Order: sequence, then structure tokens, then C-alpha cells
Amino acid sequence: MITLLHDYQASRARLFKEYKEVQREKSADPDIQLVCDDSNIFKWTALIKGPSETPYEGGVFQLAFSIPEQYPLLPPQVRFLTKIFHPNVHFKTGEICLDILKNAWSPAWTLQSVCRAIIALMAHPEPDSPLNCDSGNLLRSGDIRGYYSMARMYTRLAAMPKKG
Amino acid sequence: MANQAEVSPRKRKAVEDELEMEASSVAAMTTMNMNQPAAEESEPILSNPSDGAGTSGSAEIWPGEYEWSCCFRDDEIMQQQSAIREEAAKVPYVGDKDPLSALEAEFESGDPILKEKIRLLGEQYAALRRTRGDGNCFFRSFMFAYLEHILVTKDADEVERITRKVIQCRLTLQSLGYTEFTYEDFFNIFMEQLESVMTSMSIEELLSRSRDQCISDYVVMFFRFVTSGEIRKRAEFFEPFIAGLTNTSVDQFCKSSVEPMGEECDHVHIIAMTDALGVSIRVVYLDRSSCDKGELAVNHHDFIPTAASSVGSSSSSSASGNITEPFITLLYRPGHYDILYRR
Repeated sequence: MITLLHDYQASRARLFKEYKEVQREKSADPDIQLVCDDSNIFKWTALIKGPSETPYEGGVFQLAFSIPEQYPLLPPQVRFLTKIFHPNVHFKTGEICLDILKNAWSPAWTLQSVCRAIIALMAHPEPDSPLNCDSGNLLRSGDIRGYYSMARMYTRLAAMPKKG
Repeated sequence: MANQAEVSPRKRKAVEDELEMEASSVAAMTTMNMNQPAAEESEPILSNPSDGAGTSGSAEIWPGEYEWSCCFRDDEIMQQQSAIREEAAKVPYVGDKDPLSALEAEFESGDPILKEKIRLLGEQYAALRRTRGDGNCFFRSFMFAYLEHILVTKDADEVERITRKVIQCRLTLQSLGYTEFTYEDFFNIFMEQLESVMTSMSIEELLSRSRDQCISDYVVMFFRFVTSGEIRKRAEFFEPFIAGLTNTSVDQFCKSSVEPMGEECDHVHIIAMTDALGVSIRVVYLDRSSCDKGELAVNHHDFIPTAASSVGSSSSSSASGNITEPFITLLYRPGHYDILYRR
């Protein structure tokens, strides 16, 4: 009866449940495609669609998940692999500044719901806690057009299939 | 702020110059890559918006060291937090049972009111057990005190009663729309501990499990789920308390102050958890408060589960009766909870 529970066993078990859920609900959220690494359940990637009515619309962005052994007590590490111009995403590393990935994390979140939160962040940037200061400054100075055109440009350059 | 206003004109000028450069480069890049009509491009992108918000807001928007973004300060905060965690980590999650004199020693050269209160405490309580001050101390103290109580008393009625409550809590989360796999592991670990203390577990084993990072944190997380579920289920009841505490919505409060590990407990949490599980808790307050008249006394507050929350389980009026003295006593010092043992 005594379960000798180790972190990585607990996190593997949990990730396996998430994997099954993702397989089952594949069509439920057409904006998110979560894929587990073939050989390592602690590595995932996701493709998310840029939300409509934002400069990211029409783009497909790749995220890399690295999951700690203490998951889900600790949050997954997530970063953008696709270049994106957004106040809360580091322009070079793709690091994301989002509270639920740091101090507001709880095991009630899942990889899937983290993707949803990131899509929400794309639609609602928070320029007051910028990782990309150029982007944050454009928004904070009220230069919506400047922000929009930069974000749009990088969406076209990096997140959309090349035409012809 | 006034200070900033004084220096700002020159700085603002510099910032604006820099901005203009940025603006032109932005404009250049957008010209290169967007196929916009030329007329639009020639518009100065960074001129103050016509609504005037730009001028009045610029001091706000560009404080002195604007390039030091919040994330730099976040780093500092996180550094300090990790320093606090390191300091806290020197204490085990759950400490050994110490005689109350250990508390006396701690305050030896301290405030006379506190010293007198500790003496008074000694009349009723024999020992205390410290827990780590990592923001989970209330739940961790409760976890150990409750499981230890079951281990010592082997109270089968109580185990049966709380088992029913735990099932209810599960249903609550389910009906609130939580994904089952996000909470079930935490529920299972708690039930495993409960069964073990009821059957074969020794106090040493309980102590070592309570110090095991994984088991201990899983049980703490179980209580956090239970607490959050109860608050959400009775959102109308808890709303005014939460509004007074943090000025946020019930949902936001649960997400940011209940469910994340390390978030400290307030009365709202304690009320919700005791209601959800139907377990009373006495909290003894060791602070410097005193009344002018009369003798010094150590205040305590009993958190007694409300009848309303036990409506669901009709057979819950167990052998222990309706009004009983709580079998769990926690010592509260501002910002921290430990476990107290009666004489």
C-alpha cells in the first residue's frame, strides 16, 4: 500500500494523462497543436495560431516546452521558437513573461491551458512588464501603429509560409 | 514623484530624441517590409496623438530610467524571494516536537508582553512543533496536526466522516469544471496518508513523509484545491471578504492567492478549508496586543465549520457531538503558523 512516490514518477504519470487528454481532444481546440517528443515525455512542442484581429493573425507560432521533474508542482518552461515581436516575449530567446509561468503557477493549469493563456497574452500584451522593451515602449507611448507594423512584419517574416 | 517632475524636462528631451531616432528606424523598417501606400508612411508615427494623452502622459510613460523594465525589478524580487526561501529551507517542512521553553528561549530578551503571554501559554500548552515559513505553513501545520491526531486516536468515525467530505470536495471541483487529472493525484496522496496513519504508520514515518518534499507538497496542494473549491462554490459568501482583502474577483483570488504553492493563508482560506473538511481549528495568537484594563490574556479564535457547509452530508452529526473543542491548535505569530500541543 505504501507508495514510494518520487517527483519524476508523479510528473511522468501526470504528463501521460495530459498526453492522453491531448490525443482525445485533438479537434477540440483547433488553434493549438501540442506534440510530445517521441522519446522524452518531458519535452513538448506546440503550434499555436496567432489570434485574429491582432498583428499575429494568420501566423503559426512554435513553442518549446521543457518540463521540470517536479511538474506539476513547478511550472513548465515555455519559450517561443518562432520569432515574435511582442512586449512580453524576449526578442532573442523567446522567453515569455507570464505570471502563471512563474509565481502564479498552480497544478490546476495544464500544458493545453498554458497554450491558451499564451494565445490570450498575444491578444492582450502587457506593456508595463516588458521583456521586449522596444515593443513595450511603442505601446506605452501610444504608438499602436508602430507596434502593429513591427509585430505584423515579424509575423509575415517568421510565422507565415513563404509564398511562391 | 515631485522629484521626478523636476528632473524630467531635460531627461524627457533626451528620451524624446532617442525616440525620434527609434521612430525613424521603425518607419524605415515598416516601409521596407509592409506594402502600405506611400502617403501613410510619411506620417510622423511618433508625433503626439491628437487627443493630447501623449504630452500629459509622457512623464508617467517615460520615468527617469525607463529602459530598466519591470522584468529587471522582477529579477531582483525573485532573487530576494529565493534568498528568503534558502533561509526558510534551513528549517525542515515539519520540525521536531519542542517543549514550550524553546519558545521562551527565542523571546528571552524580547518584549515583556510577549514573554508574559508565553508564560500564560505554558499553563495550557506543553509543546510546539515548528513548520517551515515558506508560505505553506498553515496548510503544512494542519496536515501534520490532523494526521498525527488520527495516528494517535485511531478515530474511525472521524476518518469515515472526513472521507465523505473529501468525496464531496472532489465533486465540487468536478462541478466547477476542473479537469479531473489536474487534482486527482493530490486527492489520492492525501487519502493514502489518511489510510496509512489509521493502520500501520508510525509517528516517525509520518514525520519523515511530512518532510518528504513530494508527499508533503502534494498534501499541501490537496488542501489548496479543497480550499479553492469551497471558495468558488460559495463565491457569494466569500466575495465581500475577498474584496476587502485584495480588491480582486473570487476567481482571480483563487487563481493567484489560493492555488499557487507558497501563497500565504488568510482568514478566508482557513474558513473555507475548515468548512470544506468539517474540521475545527483553534488558532492561538501570540502578538503584542494587550488591553488596557484587566489581566493580560492570550487570545484565540476557534474556526468552527458552519452548519451550512455540512448540509450535504446528513449523517455527519458524528459521535463527537455538535460543539466540541477543536482538537487541532495552531500558534499564530504575525506571518507564521506552528503547531501547539495541549498539556
